[in-house]
Amino acid sequence: MASAKIMVIGAGVMGQGLAEAIATAGYELTLVDKTTKLAERGLRCISESIDREIGRWGLTQADKKAILARIYPSSDLAQAEDAEIVLETIPEKLEKKQSLFEKLNRLCPMDTLLITNTGTLSISEIAESTDRPEKIIGMHFLNPVTRVPLVEIVKGLKTDEETFQKAVHFAEMLDKKWITVNEYPGYVTTRIIVPMLNEAMHVLMEGVASAEDIDEAMKLGFGFNVGPLALADMMGLDVVMSWMMNLITELSEHKYNPCPLLRKLVRAGHLGVKTGKGFFEYDIEGNRIDTEEARPEEAVK
Amino acid sequence: MKILVLNCGSSSVKYQLIDTASDIALAKGSVSRIGMSASVLTHKPHDRAEIKVSAEILDHINAVNYVLSILVSPNHGVIKDKNEIEAVGHRVVHGGEQFSDSVLITPELMTELRALIELAPLHNPHNIRGITACRQSLPDVPQVAVFDTSLHHKMPPHAFIYGIPYVFYKRYGIRRYGFHGPSHRYVSDRAAALMGKPTKDLKIITAHLGNGASVTALDGGVSIDTSMGFTPLEGLVMGTRSGDLDPAVILHIMAREELSLHEGNTLLNKHSGLIGISGISSDVREVLKAADADHPNAQLAIDVYCYRLRKYIGAYTAAMGGLDALVFTAGVGENSPVIRTLSVERLEFLGIEIDEGKNIDAVNREMDISAPEARVKTFVIPTNEELVIARDTERIVKDKDA
Repeated sequence: MASAKIMVIGAGVMGQGLAEAIATAGYELTLVDKTTKLAERGLRCISESIDREIGRWGLTQADKKAILARIYPSSDLAQAEDAEIVLETIPEKLEKKQSLFEKLNRLCPMDTLLITNTGTLSISEIAESTDRPEKIIGMHFLNPVTRVPLVEIVKGLKTDEETFQKAVHFAEMLDKKWITVNEYPGYVTTRIIVPMLNEAMHVLMEGVASAEDIDEAMKLGFGFNVGPLALADMMGLDVVMSWMMNLITELSEHKYNPCPLLRKLVRAGHLGVKTGKGFFEYDIEGNRIDTEEARPEEAVK
Repeated sequence: MKILVLNCGSSSVKYQLIDTASDIALAKGSVSRIGMSASVLTHKPHDRAEIKVSAEILDHINAVNYVLSILVSPNHGVIKDKNEIEAVGHRVVHGGEQFSDSVLITPELMTELRALIELAPLHNPHNIRGITACRQSLPDVPQVAVFDTSLHHKMPPHAFIYGIPYVFYKRYGIRRYGFHGPSHRYVSDRAAALMGKPTKDLKIITAHLGNGASVTALDGGVSIDTSMGFTPLEGLVMGTRSGDLDPAVILHIMAREELSLHEGNTLLNKHSGLIGISGISSDVREVLKAADADHPNAQLAIDVYCYRLRKYIGAYTAAMGGLDALVFTAGVGENSPVIRTLSVERLEFLGIEIDEGKNIDAVNREMDISAPEARVKTFVIPTNEELVIARDTERIVKDKDA
């Protein structure tokens, strides 16, 4: 098996999206997870995602074959020593990320581009687990990676210009538009979207309008592709809540206080698309089921 | 003159080393899967068996160097030293409005070529990469760019302006450009030679039917109209491309299926045409086979394909006010008697009549397939775009030295 020049660590939803985006752009990569089985499961999910894109006319069977052939699933982290770009997408736990970067620090040559895909954690804190904090950078891709054209390039306190330029080059390889973010909680995207989602939940809770109408208003009124409540369902209500808790811890502002309705739904295990129920209801494929009127209050009972 | 002809795509380089003294390709081949760990170089010297080499070829510079080294290799090579290569001719897809002929590549020209990327984002960047690679590997060898579009440069405004606000022509260069120039030129010149008349006295329609397909009307050797337009999507129904279509259709589908620009583009370029209608294949042979087996949409796909072509033949005869010869070329045109028959059905009134016996015999070889009494000559002529590129390259390089 050839070892590719790019490595993605973590074959979860984010890792799959990134692997698919990298391979679609024409580059080979190694997709690493704890076991080969997990990495192969990731590859199967990518294959299904490509099938959906073929169904949307965006790719062909020939593209699928070529894309999948560029992804090498593996459980061997040690191959990172041959990679030019290493990108991690493991769960958002500081200790886990730090221990991974400690290992990468030992494995990789000094000129390897080491990227963390965190959406909330501090790049600087992660970087401190290595003896080359100036070589560590954050790139915050948004889900679904293949469809969202944006990436936030996040500089830690010590990230140097050369590392930043390499990250820019990587973003361009993937044909993504990028913005520069100086490390700060929530960056730009998360920080601005989360209070809006929360406010939409307050509007619903206070009985101002129905969930359908709130989403319709924001879609038609302001040109969002997806309404705020449907978007929260897609992101995962537990994820939205954890971002808010993180922002409130870091910034101590009451505007990040999760709406009681959000807390209730999360406690009830109604986490959005992934559990089939959030502000709206979904079938097993994740397609919205159109109910007469979505009633989250009833769902909570 | 020994000329290296290159056609560089996104992950491939096709090459021929042509000796213009004899018009023979001393060697031809390709590098595919550039940028992947297992790239493949296929190389066929004219007098020996084909060989395949697997290697890691990371970029076009690497690929060109591989090609050069195999051309001079003791076992598989056809020349002793790369100095024997006297010029390089590149296929460049888009020449915009600037280039009415092939041109010598200079640093200034490179700037102009880069400016044209906006018009052909899928092709020109790779063509440019190939040129850059050659400038590094063969710094003292003159290079020439041969454009797909330049044959159509004299097309009159009434043929190239679209019925949309004129400002878009001025602002973004939105007009019809046409493609496949070297192929249309080669086969129309051959047809004139076979008729023993100068091209300037002839009205010729050339049908290039390959993976991409286009028809060109050449009046006195000048392309006065061609079926491909701003991009190679317009015109004939192709293997995977829709060809002409009510533009509202794509807007409607994109809205109904909530497609992105990329998805809409792929829908028309890769999921349409023969494969889109038949659901079977983009390959005419496969679709014909399925039609014989009574597959429901296979015959329909073939009928749509041939009907569209027949309409173009009629239209271009009208555009020229007459017709002396019709030429079929490229993969389908050279090899499919059925497609040829269906495409000229009911065109006897224009003087087009083919001899079915000759038509069936004309597979992958140059032949006059006209019926004896036909007023219009119909030919099957295998195309040779590389030879056109080589000859143009020789002419431009000699002009420079003169």
